[in-house]
Parts: sequence; C-alpha cells; structure tokens
Amino acid sequence: MAKTAKTYCGLAGLCVFILIVCSSIAMAADPSVEVTYRLKWLFNTSVVGDLYAKDYGFFDKAGLSVTIKEGGPERDAIKELELGYAQFGVASADQVIRARSKGAPVVVIAQLFQVNPLQWIYRADTMTVKNISDLKGRTVGITYGGNDETIMRTLLAKENITEQDVKLFSVRYDYTPFYQKKVDIWPVYRNSQGITVGDKLRAEGEEIGFLDPAGFGVKFVANSVVTSEKMLKERPEVVKAFVTALIQAWEASLSPENEQKALKLLEKYDKDTTADVRKRQLALTAGFVKPSPGVRIGTIDLSAWKQTEDIMLKLKQIPEPVKVEKAINSSMMEKSK
Amino acid sequence: MLHRRLYQFLIIYSLGLSGLFLIKYTLNLSNYVIPGPANLWATCREVWLRYFFDTGDTLAVAIIGHITSTCLAIFVGIVGRQATWVGSFVKVAAYNVQAYPIVALAPIIFILLGDGFISRLLIAAMICYFPILLSVLGIMAEPVVDIEHFYRITGRMRWQLEIKIRAFENMNKLITVIAGSATLAMAGTIVAEFIAANAGIGYSIRIALYQSDLSKILIALFLIGLSLSVYQGLLEFSGYLAKKKWEVPKGGIV
Repeated sequence: MAKTAKTYCGLAGLCVFILIVCSSIAMAADPSVEVTYRLKWLFNTSVVGDLYAKDYGFFDKAGLSVTIKEGGPERDAIKELELGYAQFGVASADQVIRARSKGAPVVVIAQLFQVNPLQWIYRADTMTVKNISDLKGRTVGITYGGNDETIMRTLLAKENITEQDVKLFSVRYDYTPFYQKKVDIWPVYRNSQGITVGDKLRAEGEEIGFLDPAGFGVKFVANSVVTSEKMLKERPEVVKAFVTALIQAWEASLSPENEQKALKLLEKYDKDTTADVRKRQLALTAGFVKPSPGVRIGTIDLSAWKQTEDIMLKLKQIPEPVKVEKAINSSMMEKSK
Repeated sequence: MLHRRLYQFLIIYSLGLSGLFLIKYTLNLSNYVIPGPANLWATCREVWLRYFFDTGDTLAVAIIGHITSTCLAIFVGIVGRQATWVGSFVKVAAYNVQAYPIVALAPIIFILLGDGFISRLLIAAMICYFPILLSVLGIMAEPVVDIEHFYRITGRMRWQLEIKIRAFENMNKLITVIAGSATLAMAGTIVAEFIAANAGIGYSIRIALYQSDLSKILIALFLIGLSLSVYQGLLEFSGYLAKKKWEVPKGGIV
C-alpha cells in the first residue's frame, strides 16, 4: 500500500516538473509583453495607424503583444488604465484634464491628431460662416456634455454671442433634424461623418461648407495616447517600445506608398464604409494627423493643451487649474526618434 | 407601506454606495473612477435641484405612460379573455409584439415622432404595457369555477360580473403586477431619454456619462430610486384601499 502511494506521489511530482519545464519553454519562445490598448472610438479610418501597428507587425517587432479594443461612448480609457484593464489608451484632452482634476494618475505620451477633426457642417447655399457672428439667429447643433459643446461655447464667447443670439439644439447620432433643415449647422468629424453627410447633401444638389474652430483660433486637442503614471514609472521600456512602434506605424500608414496597404486594412475592419469613402477619409485623416511634412506624428502641442485647459476653466468645467503640463510626458516621443 | 418602501430603498442604496466606497479605498482609486464622499456631496449640492426637477419630469411621463398602458392592457385583456377567434388573435398578437426589443424600435419612434414628450411617453407605455397585458390576459382567461358556476347555473352571469369576480379573486396578483410595472415604465422613460430625448433624468445621465461624472450618475440614481419607491408605495396603498372597499364588511352584510 505504502509502495503504491509512493509511486503515485512520484508520478504526480514528475507531471508537475514536466508542466513547469513546458511552460518555461513556452515563455522563452514567446517573450512578448502583453498589453491592452483601449481606443476612443470604433474601428474606422481615424485609428488606421493603430490597426496598422497591430496587423503589419510593428508591435510584434517591438516585443509587444497588443490587444486593441474598440472604444465607444460608454468606454473610458482613463478609467480602464486606473483599474488595470488596459495599459494604454486613447483619450481627448478634455477627458484627460477632467480626469486630472479628479486626481486620476493619467499621463499623455503622444498626441495623435495635431488638428482636431471636429467641425460643423452647413448648407453653403443658405448660409456662410466667415465670422462667428454669422451664427447669430441660427440653430446650432451641439452635443450637450460633449467636447463640441465646449468648443462651440468658446467660439460664441469669443465674439460675445449669448444664448439669446443663437438657438442651441441638442444633437445625437441621428442626422434627421439637419436633413430636415430644422438645424442650420451640425457637428461632425470632418474625416468621417463630414464626408458621408456631405455626400448626401450634394446628392440632393446642395452646396456644403464647414466651420473649422481652428480657423477662429480655438485649438482644442483631440485624440492622444495615454498611460498611467504607474506604468511610466515601473515599465518605462514597455512605454517607450509601445510609443515607438505606434508612431512608426502611423507614419507608415499615412505614407503615400503604403496607401493600398492601409486601405486593405480598413476594408478588413470597417466593412460598412464604401471603398471610395474610406479612401477620402484616409486622405483627410492624414491631413489632421500630419498637417505638414515637417510635423512629426505624435508631437505634443503644449500650447494647445494649455489653451484647452484655459477654455475648460473659463467654462467652469474644472474647478481649478490642473497645470496640464504635469500630465504631459514628451520624453517617450523624444526617445522614440 | 410607503415608509417601508422608502427605508428599504435607503438601505439598498446605502449598501451599494458603501460597496463602491469600499472598492475605491481598497484599490486606492481616484475620484475620477469612483467619487469620494466629499466629492459626491459637493456634486449633490451643485445639481440636486436641477436633477430633482428632471426626475419629476421623467416620473410624470412614466406615470402617464403607466396609466395609459394599464388601461389599454385591461381593455385588451378583457377582450382577449374570451375563447373566441378575436380573443385568440389578441393573445397571439400580444405575445408576438413583445418579442421586439423596444431599444431597437426606439430610434424609429424618435425619427418619426421627434425627440419630445410623445416619443418618451410612447416608449414608456410600450415597455410596461406587455407585462401588464400578459398578466391581465392570464387572470381574465382563468375562470373562478367555484363562484362563477353558481351564477352560470342560475342564469345571472353577465360579462361585467365575470370580470369583477376574476379581478377580485386575483386582486393581490393584479396589484403586484401593476406596482411592479411602474419600475418598467420609469426604466422605459429613462431609456427613451437616454437614447434620444432632450429632457428628463435619462438625458441628464447621458450628459454626465459624456463627462465621465459618476457622482452625477449616483445622485440621479438616488433620486430615481426615491421617486420610484414613493410611486410604488402609493400604488400599493391604492390597491390596499381598493381591496378594502370591495371586501365584505364584518358580519357578512353587503
């Protein structure tokens, strides 16, 4: 009986040993670091560089195994960083500043969009917006609580236009009120809905125009790559590898010689958009991410961040200054050169 | 009845909030993820009045929707109780229409009717209508054999009497279903406001969600729970009064 027990114990020990050896071999064969990257929105042209990094092996080469997760209105990358569900994420400047004002240990490591693609579309044959004062008497669409509300209120405040001078209309994802001409000017992302909504209006023989806040001096920072202070402190080599791979992939994805590769990738991830629209979206996205050849993708525009903070402070969206420069870490971008 | 509803809600809310604080302090999370008590209090002072009126707005729509759907469900339930072709058709239609998720229909309703009062009312009524209808159909189609037999063999049975007997015998069930469906009416109104309306507490929750402000959402949840507890408590009390009025007085004299 004792001999049988000893035999069983010996066999169990051998099994455990084999398991340990096998798992060690497996780990040695796959040394990549696993991280999760939470995007701000769904897979579309605005995230072409992120998808490019994953599908064309930029992350693999950097020794990273990255899981890219789609975002959405109910997703918040900053909260996921803090809860440990993600190590990297994409967030807009207003999200970062709001989070910092509530003590969230979030750090910006790269700024993907140098120009905010958020603009307002209007029918150019019925109105024109050469000055913000042209909005007087018009019905202006805004998403209450969204960053377009902040931007529009800033634009109106710059010209001392009050809510009595314009009619603000609460917008959602349904464009019917705009198509029905109940609303004169509607917020869109220029590189996505701007194209599709514009096409529909042109098909009806209408001329379209866009109000670009940047043209009136309002630089409100859009999508940026964020991580946690803990990640930056404890695993700087991973952060550096991630930023380097990501920026290289964005550069490659927007390079004219890789256009077909980028479009093929978008065809895989964004099946609901037609090939023609995807192509035009890619061209416009390139202009927002890399507005001129001299601009390096990912560059953090500190003055724009400070302006964003000032705007939020003026509109009482944060109770006191957060000193946004403390939330920005350009060193990873510098090292990734 | 009412006070029991209220203190039960307060216990549940306090337990939920304590659980959140426990997670916050155990995991050392910032106010951005889970607001602390001070942050919650500051937000409460800032928004409670506005949210109070928003909740009142939502509750008003929910009550109107609830009453409408209850009346309609009782009417259809009475028609559908009969073992005739029409009765059977109404039952089948009721079961089939319930299969469509209202969240999928809501955008169509908002496109057709706009994002005002009517759309919210319709969605609230639609969400609580079917559960009430199915219960009413079940109750009204089930004969109370012991009592109804007497009236049938004496030739005194009329349809009004039949309904009265069945309703009285199942009063507790009816009250429970109607009070329970109040929650659905409120939830339906909030969902409608969240999806597309431009008023009410559901709309405020959506804005708070855009701003990732959990403290505002927690305050909204408190007001929703409080108002719903009051409404449900009042419904139960009304049911209790109705039942008492129908009961045979002591001594057996009608």
